[in-house]
Amino acid sequence: MADHFSRYHPVVNFAYFILVIGFSMFFLHPVYMIISISGAFIYSIILKGEKGFRFNIMFMLPMLIIVACINPLFNHEGATILFYLKNGNPFTLESVIYGVVSSTMLITVIMWFSCYNCIMTSDKFIYLFGRIIPSLSLILSMVFRFVPLYKKKIVTISNAQKCIGNDVTDGNVIRRAKNGIKILSIMITWALESGIETADSMKARGYGLNKRTAYSNYDFMTRDIIAVTIIISLGLFIIVCSILDITDVRYFPTIRFAGFSTINIFSYIGYFILCYTPVFITIWEELKWKYLISRI
Amino acid sequence: MEEKYGTTQKSNKLTKRTIVSSIIILILIPITILFGVFVLDDRKYVFISILIILYTMIPFLMVFEGRKPQAREIVIIAVLSAIAVAGRGAFFMIPQFKPVVAIVIISGVCFGGEAGFLVGAVSGFVSNFFFGQGPWTVWQMFCFGIIGFLAGILFRKGILRRNKIKLLLYGLLSTFFIYGGIIDIGSMMMATGKFDFRVLLTYYATGFWFNVIHAASTVFFLFILSDTMIEKLERIKIKYGLIESGNN
Repeated sequence: MADHFSRYHPVVNFAYFILVIGFSMFFLHPVYMIISISGAFIYSIILKGEKGFRFNIMFMLPMLIIVACINPLFNHEGATILFYLKNGNPFTLESVIYGVVSSTMLITVIMWFSCYNCIMTSDKFIYLFGRIIPSLSLILSMVFRFVPLYKKKIVTISNAQKCIGNDVTDGNVIRRAKNGIKILSIMITWALESGIETADSMKARGYGLNKRTAYSNYDFMTRDIIAVTIIISLGLFIIVCSILDITDVRYFPTIRFAGFSTINIFSYIGYFILCYTPVFITIWEELKWKYLISRI
Repeated sequence: MEEKYGTTQKSNKLTKRTIVSSIIILILIPITILFGVFVLDDRKYVFISILIILYTMIPFLMVFEGRKPQAREIVIIAVLSAIAVAGRGAFFMIPQFKPVVAIVIISGVCFGGEAGFLVGAVSGFVSNFFFGQGPWTVWQMFCFGIIGFLAGILFRKGILRRNKIKLLLYGLLSTFFIYGGIIDIGSMMMATGKFDFRVLLTYYATGFWFNVIHAASTVFFLFILSDTMIEKLERIKIKYGLIESGNN
């Protein structure tokens, strides 16, 4: 299944991830955590397929276990004592659960970030922040250009050095290392000098004189307006719920959290829709596509 | 080398901007931490810690944006960051073995604390587009940046000189204590969600060898790169009249 959320406007993408990642860091309430981690899990599989699934299982599960084990060894709060450690400190049920909860929070955030990495590419980021931080986003876009350029340049220099027998493949280990450093050194000199030339060229073309205009590849369409409205109103709703202490949870000394009263269920539903928005969008677009194909 | 390329050592005084930045780091951060402890009931550590770190970086970025940097300045920072990012990419298979800190220190020494900070923060941010963004990005940006910033200040103060031994020592200590020390606090906060000194000690213990490798790689890269790179940067500064253009 191809992802469709990434084709939305960068504002929609960014607002979504800010809210979801922020909430995932903030809420330690089990119901919210289950909603968030399942949303992140499903979405990462939509985005990366089998690779995403393997990553989640192979890296996240051991991480969850390791981090979960650290907490009860150091945290001795809690009312339900399971047994005593060798140094006389109690090993409590609450601290075990808290360990699992905090490590779940960690892997949820990492999973959301892995989705973020697929969706929020550098050009989207630069597009979003180009107005607010123009010089820095110019630096960022230059760095993104320079990295592959330098890699190519190193190959060119290395080929030239090969002609005079000074490549990294010539001679013994010490000579190879010396040649390698020499290639790097040539590359750095070239990078600095050509950088200055670029700067002079920028200046000659009027950099810094007037307000710069920016090429934009993104249109803010009706669907973007709808999506951003839904995402932001859901986010505000969840924030209101959290101010009203609905999302609160207490782990020590005993575990207490808000259960399933009407307003709670509404907040769960709201959070569910928020976390699953990209999944819903993808399913919706796929269905639409199937429907359109079937009509042909 | 100092006599030969000693053009930057004109005054030992700190510029106004450096003082302002120092005040922000030394006074505003503690206030923010206290705000987290007393107003937000000392909960939500992860969130507060990330906010604080972002908050500390904003003044640098705003000052930089505010003074409408010249094209040359922008390009030089971009070139240095790109070298750091490409270097990190070249050694991606060895964990923690990265030249970023070395290049950041050299940038700080040659172009001042602000440039050092920017090269560090930009390298941390951009390289994570290749290695994966996460809550750690903010911490890495901060650690790299602060090392570059301190390198610039110490150099201006005359404590750090273009003397290889001192540079290597600064690289070793700053990577091990500043980078390692802060990054481990970050990973603890992310993992357990709160600050606990005993847990922090286990993180320091488990992270010890990673920090050793990282510090060793910084020393290694400073050893091979510092002389040639400082020479090149100084040459560029003289050739194109870039001398401390950012500090007027």
